Amino acid sequence: MDVEPILKVTNLTKKFGNLVAVNRASLEVNRGEIVGLIGPNGAGKTTLFNAISGLYRPEEGTVFFKGMNVTNWLPHKICKLGMSRTFQVTRAFTHMTVEDTVRVGAYNRFNEKNVQDKVDQVIKVCDLVDIRKRVCEDLGLASLRKVELARALATEPEMLLLDEAGAGLNATELAVFMDLIKKLNQESQITFCVVEHVMQMVMGLCQRIVVLDSGEIIAAGTPNEISNNARVIEAYLGKRAVHARNQ
Amino acid sequence: MNVKNLFNPRNILILIGVGIALAIPLIFNASQYVMLLMTTVLLYAILASAWNIIGGMAGQLDLAAAAYLGLGAFTTGTLLIRWNITPWVGMFLGGLVATALAMLIGFPLFGFKVKELWYALSSSALVVVLQSLFMMWNEVGGPTEKYLPIGTSPWYSLRFNDYMPYYYLMLIILVVVLLVNRWIRYSKLGYSLLALGEDEDAVEVLGVNSQSSKLKALAIYAFICGVVGGIFASIYGYVHPAFFDTSMSMEIAILGIVGGMGFIYGPALAAIVMVSFREVLRASLGSQLAGLYLAVYAIILIVVALYQPRGIAPLVERGIKKAQTYFVELTRGRRADIKSH
Amino acid sequence: MFETATQGIITGILMGAIYALIALGLSIVFGIMNVTNFAHGDFVMLSMYLSFAVGSALAWDAVATPLITAPLMFLFGIITYYLLIDRTLRQMYVVQLAVTVGLQILMRSAALIIWQAQPRALQYSFIQGNIQIGDFQILTSRLFSAVVSLIFIAGMAYFLSKTWAGRAMRAASDDLGAASLMGVNYHKTYALTFAIGSSITALAGGLVMSFQQTDPVGGIRFGLLSWAVLALAGLGSLPGLIVAGIIVGVVESLTVSFFDPRSRLLGVYAIFILVLWLRPRGLFGRR
Repeated sequence: MDVEPILKVTNLTKKFGNLVAVNRASLEVNRGEIVGLIGPNGAGKTTLFNAISGLYRPEEGTVFFKGMNVTNWLPHKICKLGMSRTFQVTRAFTHMTVEDTVRVGAYNRFNEKNVQDKVDQVIKVCDLVDIRKRVCEDLGLASLRKVELARALATEPEMLLLDEAGAGLNATELAVFMDLIKKLNQESQITFCVVEHVMQMVMGLCQRIVVLDSGEIIAAGTPNEISNNARVIEAYLGKRAVHARNQ
Repeated sequence: MNVKNLFNPRNILILIGVGIALAIPLIFNASQYVMLLMTTVLLYAILASAWNIIGGMAGQLDLAAAAYLGLGAFTTGTLLIRWNITPWVGMFLGGLVATALAMLIGFPLFGFKVKELWYALSSSALVVVLQSLFMMWNEVGGPTEKYLPIGTSPWYSLRFNDYMPYYYLMLIILVVVLLVNRWIRYSKLGYSLLALGEDEDAVEVLGVNSQSSKLKALAIYAFICGVVGGIFASIYGYVHPAFFDTSMSMEIAILGIVGGMGFIYGPALAAIVMVSFREVLRASLGSQLAGLYLAVYAIILIVVALYQPRGIAPLVERGIKKAQTYFVELTRGRRADIKSH
Repeated sequence: MFETATQGIITGILMGAIYALIALGLSIVFGIMNVTNFAHGDFVMLSMYLSFAVGSALAWDAVATPLITAPLMFLFGIITYYLLIDRTLRQMYVVQLAVTVGLQILMRSAALIIWQAQPRALQYSFIQGNIQIGDFQILTSRLFSAVVSLIFIAGMAYFLSKTWAGRAMRAASDDLGAASLMGVNYHKTYALTFAIGSSITALAGGLVMSFQQTDPVGGIRFGLLSWAVLALAGLGSLPGLIVAGIIVGVVESLTVSFFDPRSRLLGVYAIFILVLWLRPRGLFGRR
């Protein structure tokens, strides 16, 4: 059994000119976990994800994935190693069909001979069979989120970063989505790190939660610990809320 | 296998097209003018279809087709003139030289997140730079034409008296290039390129190395242009730095865009329509208004880019689909008739 | 050889100031609107032809022609913006490139049709002649043009930082959404920006016409020069633009001195590629 965490971020700092978006953030994710990354808007969660997945180069700090230093790696190399992600604002391949979109991801590990099987499998798992031939620009949000997950899944990742994948989904869609993630986590042993605002998803899925505020990690622990943490409450609701709570 | 399925509108169109293409020389037997025109049309169709790989699929606005064409032409020409090496071999070496330059330019420019803009600009300037270079390089280029010898065998030196052999040669190459297009389109490279054109970040996190994909597309395209350049030199019978023609490069990009980016037959179709139209225009207006046909091209480009950015191929596709559904209903109707008897 | 080099450098510095001016027009449009105007070099070419037309018709000095050509090009900029550019803003990037390429070809064809292919020049102006400094010669017209360019660039810097219109333009570049919420009509701001960029080319065109001639394919050269300067300078720094302009000017000049006049673009092209490869955001760029 792996003792080393699958993802280990240490003192990661990302600046844009003079703006420090992420400030010496450290976090660890163990294999098989579903870890939530939460925080108020503008806290730097997506920036952190971008730095981890290779889209940004951090000014300071390191990212270790599966024991390898991937800090300055290009995203496609990190994907080959086993990490993929979805995006906060869905970035679909607008003019491509669902099936072709998934295929792009599947080519990560498969070649012409067996790619179709993988595509079929992923489409089935993500419940995209009905719309597999539809063009992405014609799809609604819930479907697009499934497609984004599907194409990332097709790369056969060991770890998936989901960036606000639950936003905009209604209760049923959300429940289905959460079930899918649980299934992937348990049956396919995929480790998840999810940025989320939808508390229902966070509390229902995550075994551990890390809280980011203004670029800094201010708390980490179980859902229970986090919801009782004064600093977290302050970050979301301001000092008055903490005060009110303590009355 | 249902033979009836083979007779759908798309295949019929292809068959008709191929038939006409093969028959043209026989129809216009004596007319060298028509043969040259048709050969020119094929030339642009090939170049535009090759462009489709870098422009239509990879989404990079390459404006250097003439650079690769010219390099191929000069390589082939020089090899024939100086060392009597047959253009059949020269062509391929020309393709390799063109590819080498393309890689030299492409490598620094295809880094992840370097905008397509910079590639468009540098490719556009490349043609001009090469023209200056070859103007200065008197041994190989220089301001006067360097004529290709005819030698003993027209087949060896690829210098024929009439255009018919060139026409068939180009036709074969066009078919090959279209097949290459098709092969790429449905391969890993093709899917990666199309996705890359949509969203480079998203495609990278799916494991696609955007830089190497673009380079592959560029290499194939440059190679084809180089090879064609060799034939180009043979047709003209000489090499001259004017081959590095920016207008021609832009025309080819326009054909690629107007035809339909990423669609296999789109650019070739656009080439056939627009180059024929251009030649007709040139014949009737003469060299008087030398810039006019280019202006017409530009206007068409602007109109298409603004109102139909995916080119005319999608419209053709829609037309074919409509014809196909109509066709299916027709045959279904007939079968129903037969059944009810 | 030392003399050749120094002469080359002097000429290069002067030309560099003018190139900086041309690049300024581009920088404003690219930096503020994030619009790629492929046809920028041809705007200069067109301006030069307009200067020729005005100068010949009215017997004006080349450097006086911007008085008429600048408003003309301003108008041209507004029309071009609303007719073409505005529509490309929401579309895929390729559309903008394609449209401006089309514009470029259109302008070139127009010049070819109206003025044919042979180069055109104006009678020399009051600033003709040379200044002799030791062994080195400076073309008075070049010096004059360089000085005017620098003054104008400084003036533009002032405009952008101190006037409402200028600050509106800068705000629009930083955050379009916020700017429009604060009452900045982005269409108008963009049209103004584009038109200003266009009239800058008129000024540059008039200046250049005092010591050069024009032809339909000059646009390519000015295009490459301005994009090279912009790439070298990066966005957001006007002094940086001047420095970059001078570097490009000197490189071009030295290439001509030591190699062949026909090779003038080679050195510039080499810098261009190098910059894109090694430092894509330019020497002084903020983004």
